[in-house]
Amino acid sequence: MAGIESKDIHKIVIACDAGMGSSVMLASQVRKQLKGEGVEVVHTPVNSIPGDADVVLCHAGLADRARASAPGVVLVPFQVFIGDPAVTRLIDTIKKGGTVDA
Amino acid sequence: MPETAPLPLDPRAVRLDASAADRDDAIAQCGRVLVEIGAVEPSYVEAMLARERSISTYVGEEVAIPHGTLAAKDVVRHDAICVLRFPGGVDWGGERVTVCVGIAARGDGHVRLLSELAQILMDPDSARALREADEVSEVLSLLQPTQEDQ
Repeated sequence: MAGIESKDIHKIVIACDAGMGSSVMLASQVRKQLKGEGVEVVHTPVNSIPGDADVVLCHAGLADRARASAPGVVLVPFQVFIGDPAVTRLIDTIKKGGTVDA
Repeated sequence: MPETAPLPLDPRAVRLDASAADRDDAIAQCGRVLVEIGAVEPSYVEAMLARERSISTYVGEEVAIPHGTLAAKDVVRHDAICVLRFPGGVDWGGERVTVCVGIAARGDGHVRLLSELAQILMDPDSARALREADEVSEVLSLLQPTQEDQ
């Protein structure tokens, strides 16, 4: 599927298995870095990704489950919870404008 | 969340000088501490081990954050975290871990603490302070959310 333009990103969902650990930590970081950008950042279990998500961030190991749970939504997988280049790239794109690839 | 909500980090759940044979042992010890402080039912420990086998909870700076699965939320009595330090190090799938932050959550009571932990991990000096703190009170104060987070 196609990517999404940064201006169309209003809600980022960070998904993990239980929504109680790593996703919470990453969400707090992303929220801080996107303060003032008008983007809502939430964390949820991978099986209950809300329908209005514009971009889903999740650990690469959960990517298949996230795709099944939120078909058609741009998915950005990452490997490490702190300082992953994929996450940094997403934040940069939102701040500076551009396309986030699916 | 009201700012006056008590932080779910009980001083009794901070251990500065633990040692573990391996990763599963370290996780089981975290689980037992969460059981001891009344945060979870004993079956939560098995869920923590299962969660770790699916995806590592290693988050960097020698820190791992073991926690249960979605299904195990039912056996969580209240939000809590524990901090166990393993000065001798634990092999965590190839990474060295000296600090385990065990998590039990059914709500969002622990979110401020995790947010603070993320800040600590992004600052190498703070991360070192967490690894090397000599007193339980230092660990508690490092994880104490700053004004900005509240």
